[in-house]
Amino acid sequence: MAIPHLGRSARPAPLDADLRVEPGSFRDPANRVFHAGDDVLRALDETAAAHWRALAGSAFFPPLLAAGKVCGTEELPAESAPAAWAAVLRHERIPFVSHPYEWSFAMLRDAALLHLEILRAALPAGFTTKDGSAYNLQWRGTEPVFIDVGSFAPLREGEPWAGYRQFCQTLLYPLLLGAHLGLDFQPWLRARVDGIEPDQMGRLFRGVRRLLPGVLTHVHLHGSVTRRNAGTSTADVRAQLRAAGYTRELALATVRGMERLVRRLDHQPAASHWVDYQRTCGYSGDDRAGKERFVTDALTGAGRRRLVLDLGANDGRYSRLAARHAEYVVAVEQDPAVVDRLYRALQGEGERRVLPLVMDLADPSPGGGWRGIERASFAARAGADVVLALALVHHLAIGRNVPLPEVVSCLAGLAAPGGRLVVEFVHPDDPMAGRLLANKPEGIFRDYRRDAFEALLAAHGTVEDRLELPSGTRTLYRVALGG
Amino acid sequence: MNHLAYLDAGSGSLIVQAVIGGVAGVAVAAKLYWRRLVSRFRRQPTDQS
Repeated sequence: MAIPHLGRSARPAPLDADLRVEPGSFRDPANRVFHAGDDVLRALDETAAAHWRALAGSAFFPPLLAAGKVCGTEELPAESAPAAWAAVLRHERIPFVSHPYEWSFAMLRDAALLHLEILRAALPAGFTTKDGSAYNLQWRGTEPVFIDVGSFAPLREGEPWAGYRQFCQTLLYPLLLGAHLGLDFQPWLRARVDGIEPDQMGRLFRGVRRLLPGVLTHVHLHGSVTRRNAGTSTADVRAQLRAAGYTRELALATVRGMERLVRRLDHQPAASHWVDYQRTCGYSGDDRAGKERFVTDALTGAGRRRLVLDLGANDGRYSRLAARHAEYVVAVEQDPAVVDRLYRALQGEGERRVLPLVMDLADPSPGGGWRGIERASFAARAGADVVLALALVHHLAIGRNVPLPEVVSCLAGLAAPGGRLVVEFVHPDDPMAGRLLANKPEGIFRDYRRDAFEALLAAHGTVEDRLELPSGTRTLYRVALGG
Repeated sequence: MNHLAYLDAGSGSLIVQAVIGGVAGVAVAAKLYWRRLVSRFRRQPTDQS
């Protein structure tokens, strides 16, 4: 995806009254992110403004910006800065904000590598990043983007990277869990906004596991030096390191070493039954062709198609189809192995308008961090123009016991006002539904019926189109929501 | 105000970076610990006097 033109001269600077503070940007008091309509603005204090100007005039930063590795950024005239701030920047809008616990292993690794690449470019030019968090990164489809422009600051000679601990806790350790132990890191990151502590990691890597790449140094030594120096201030340690001869070259060598380590870490998550789902899910060729036509019609008809959510995206067949007709598609799938494959495949295809995410719709990302709003919940971010829920409803209603009215209400709630829902209902007599029903006591899903489902759809909007697939056990609906 | 220090970088996290920076880094860390040791011995006679 091309970096959008920010239109500096074309659009007026927003007024203070229109500004909404981004709840996730309070940690560094030197700058604060605001939203104004679709604009993403970053207000800077005087020091941060001086750092930004030095950065913009540096040799290393403009190429990163031009390559799209850092999010598009321009400075607005000083008079448009919000009250009490010295300067204001306008950023490229990230089409859909996601959190690291919604990424697959390969996504987290690529994000980590981009962070290190940016730091490696910054250090020789006399810059560093003040932090090293996974939350510094976002996505344009399958392309990672460094978004925290406020994190760049002049390097103070003789000081190691201030962001190293954050990098370990939110990027390196989750990758070690995946690569060395085969664990899914997502629940760990979701549960702790600051990531995994070295001591917690140490307990998982006892015995010969200490010898696995990166573990002895980044986990055990890191944990032990941290414990032994708990009583020494970082200011004292900085002065001691400077006096002992710590240099920029050493910092660079450390970053290079971490890049080599992260590149070595690989984890192909174990194949689950979802990996082969498209092949085994019992569609005939006619069914599939009919379904593709129906979805295409839904995406080429009336209405805005800025954001499409493909829920239960599996191998991304319909996400790719949607990407032909929509500006951006978020492909949500609960199985990390499936998302990892999809990410790698989309990257190989050069598809830049589909963002694959790991999330269980029966347990969606809640609000996280400070007051539960620092990291917005999935529901708060959704607001899709079109919600695709293909071969999904029976998994929620039968597989997870979610009452059918709840399922429909949830799907409709993920759409923006005036949005559309494209949903497939798998009849109770369908072989796939039968397989799910066979695992549950007979008769507990009496309301799982086509007529009941249609009544629920009608309660949420107008059914504009419907198609019974040739197999006769599945029906597709297009619903204009609201009204 | 030191704008680089909004984050607590962690004393141990700073020192360990020297060690993982290769041989030259280990030398820096060794020097840091040596100086700490020496300063401790130097301080003791003064404390007693």
